Amino acid sequence: MTVNGSRWSGDVPARQTLCDFLRDELELTGTHVGCEQGACGACTILGDGEAVRSCLMLAVQADGMELTTIEGMGEPGNLSTLQAAFLRHRAFQCGFCTPGFLASAAEILGSGRRYSRRELRDMLSGNVCRCTGYEPIVEAVFECQR
Amino acid sequence: MPEVGTDNRELLVTGRGRFIADIAPDDCVDVCFVRSPLPHAVIRSVRLSSSQATWGAELGLQPLSLEAGAMVTTLWHPMPTERVRYVGEPVAMSWGASRYEAEDLAEAISVDYAALPPGTPLHDEAPDDVLFSRSFDSGGVDEAMAQAHLVVERTFKAARQSALPLEGRGVVADHDETSGVTTLWTSTQLPHLVRRGVAHALGAPESSVRVMVPHVGGGFGLKATLYVEEIALAALARRLGTPVRWIEDRTENLLAGTHGHDTRVSLRVAVGVDGRVHAIDADVLADVGAYSVWPGTAVIEPAIAAFSLFGPYALEAVRFRARAAASSRSPVGPCRGIGHNAAVFATERVMDVVAAELGIDPLEVRRRNAVRDFPWTSPTGRELDSGDYLALIRRLEEASNYQGLLREQAQARSEGRLVGIGVSLFNEITASGSADYRRRGVTSVPGTDAARVVVTAEGRVEIYTSAADAGQGHAETYRTLAERELGLRPEEVDVIEGDTALCPEGSGTFISRGAVGVMESVVEALRKAAKEDFEPGTDVTHVHDPSQVYPSGAHLAVVEVDPVGHVPHVVRYVAIEDCGRMLDRDLVEGQVRGGIAMGIGEMLLEEHTYSEDGQLLTSSLRHYLPPLAPDVPAVEIHHLESLSPITALGSKGVGEAGTIGAFGAIANAVVDAVGPLGAELTELPYSPERILGAVRGEPPRVAS
Repeated sequence: MTVNGSRWSGDVPARQTLCDFLRDELELTGTHVGCEQGACGACTILGDGEAVRSCLMLAVQADGMELTTIEGMGEPGNLSTLQAAFLRHRAFQCGFCTPGFLASAAEILGSGRRYSRRELRDMLSGNVCRCTGYEPIVEAVFECQR
Repeated sequence: MPEVGTDNRELLVTGRGRFIADIAPDDCVDVCFVRSPLPHAVIRSVRLSSSQATWGAELGLQPLSLEAGAMVTTLWHPMPTERVRYVGEPVAMSWGASRYEAEDLAEAISVDYAALPPGTPLHDEAPDDVLFSRSFDSGGVDEAMAQAHLVVERTFKAARQSALPLEGRGVVADHDETSGVTTLWTSTQLPHLVRRGVAHALGAPESSVRVMVPHVGGGFGLKATLYVEEIALAALARRLGTPVRWIEDRTENLLAGTHGHDTRVSLRVAVGVDGRVHAIDADVLADVGAYSVWPGTAVIEPAIAAFSLFGPYALEAVRFRARAAASSRSPVGPCRGIGHNAAVFATERVMDVVAAELGIDPLEVRRRNAVRDFPWTSPTGRELDSGDYLALIRRLEEASNYQGLLREQAQARSEGRLVGIGVSLFNEITASGSADYRRRGVTSVPGTDAARVVVTAEGRVEIYTSAADAGQGHAETYRTLAERELGLRPEEVDVIEGDTALCPEGSGTFISRGAVGVMESVVEALRKAAKEDFEPGTDVTHVHDPSQVYPSGAHLAVVEVDPVGHVPHVVRYVAIEDCGRMLDRDLVEGQVRGGIAMGIGEMLLEEHTYSEDGQLLTSSLRHYLPPLAPDVPAVEIHHLESLSPITALGSKGVGEAGTIGAFGAIANAVVDAVGPLGAELTELPYSPERILGAVRGEPPRVAS
């Protein structure tokens, strides 16, 4: 598989989830585990350009895929447009949900379409944020559509 | 977590933060807990079947005695050896090279239980299961009831809920044989209190435990008690001599993290012909779960609820009884707004009932009852330091275009739509100080906050505090303060929190004390350092013992209920907030907006339920429903700044106000929406099922 542009190959335990593989094996701890049942969206990453729940996939199922985690989206001092917008709009407080929201938002922006705020709220409804009340997140994504 | 320089927010937005699950020392083993599957049972025997497993009988932990004035003294048993008291209580633990291996070994642990019959008292010390009982009578209540034009009588029930930080709990412990110090990384709001409690349970001096707090993925009260897992991991690290780690999964979090609220409020209210409320007679009963968790959680929900009833209104007489009842459910701890939520829900519903019975507008009835002159001492002895409640109401009326809303509502109703407008006026206590805790008989919570300022050889200013940040933006605020008050440049200020070895001792982060006690200690410590011209080598500490202050607010919600599915939807929300002087408007609004979202969830969606045989039915996020983006509207926030005369900065705290206000505004809006159908709702959350039940005239299920 390819993770953030780097090729990786090897054996993984059959029962290991993709999020545990990313965190424990590749030490990409920016992918956060919030519920392990696909309900909270914290572990969302991009798999072949689509937002996927890394807790609902086994690592072996990612064989051959191209994965992008939060670590591949930008870094301190070199933020992506979306990350900069999250920062500017204060679209996070504790920051635990942020990597998952950024992945979901990246998929939305990747479509090239422009959505209304109401549509964005529906499209972001797969991710839980307990801190912000969602409005700044919606605003940050909305802004990046322009 | 140290915040050096100003790039911490960039770390979080790029996935470079360090949360508890990201800490994995070399040779660390992962721990899995075996938890009770029964609500109340005797432990007959435990078979571990592995050398990588242990249980309470081998750990030698001391039970913690719970102290507090009117409270029955019970013992809290971490890792009990004789009896379990709720489903999810930790009994044994296993460990392995990964959580997967630890779970395999946990499967092999066999615990033989003998279930106790329902109704068996949970604690020998409390045969009636009452852990706390307090009565208050100002006098004059019976006379007021006898003379009242109208006596309103209602019972309301706030649901059992979870604060539900998105990050669960977690602990990493490492013991150093040479120094004898156990280092405990834990996702907590209370670094110093955890150190004290863990040391007590281990029977070790406090100096032998160091607590460190990494980035915390939300707390909201769930991380503001001492936990069994913190004690157990510290004990295990001492025994094994290798680092040990436990990262909570969501099921554990919903089962064994503290729950919130679960409070019934029964009210009798004496009202004059003009809508003035003269007296209340209240009975508050909180189900606090299986234990009062150290340092004494059983008191806070019912006591705060009772004292907060009709908080912003000028009552003449008050009588209440407040009780905490034990049950074989997860312990109830702090949960954003604690006690206030149930009180504001009941109070604000009653204010609307009074308005409706007497044909007075809801805003007007609040205007007539609001406290006008400050400071004001309530019949229960609360001293309201500051506020301008009439201005709050006026601003709410203007900002929401209230009269226009009423016209729109009339139009919507004529079209058959169920649209409701709800308002709330509320205040809350923040920043309890040492005297408040001593008065309640609590000695383990210092009640003070502290800051230490050190100037390094390079001239950088380091601020250490007794608080712990969970996303509120402490470092940012301290830097703003340092700049505003003393002209320091933000980039020369480093902030270090959540390390008991470096930070001065204090209470931690709860009861919205950050903007009051903590901030004041920071300012005073900085002023002391300024007297030394911030010379390298300066090292000053300031301990502040705050007095309670009373932020306030007025909220308005518009809710539309769809007439088929009876799903309530919040379409508009206006908040007028008065937290005194704002130190950082953006951060204040972040707290308010997030608090309101949580309030909307707790009013409409969130509820922990148990089966008749004591099993939690909501142990996953497929069953326990936090609000999502479409459930929450854009919130219109306006500010009033009535400065507190008793805090150095005039600030009053803002962490919980949004949630508290929503318990009134949303309640009234939903009832108003279905009011034309003759429905009254007294039990939370206002789910479609309950709304439909109320519309059909089914009696409310006021739970026991």
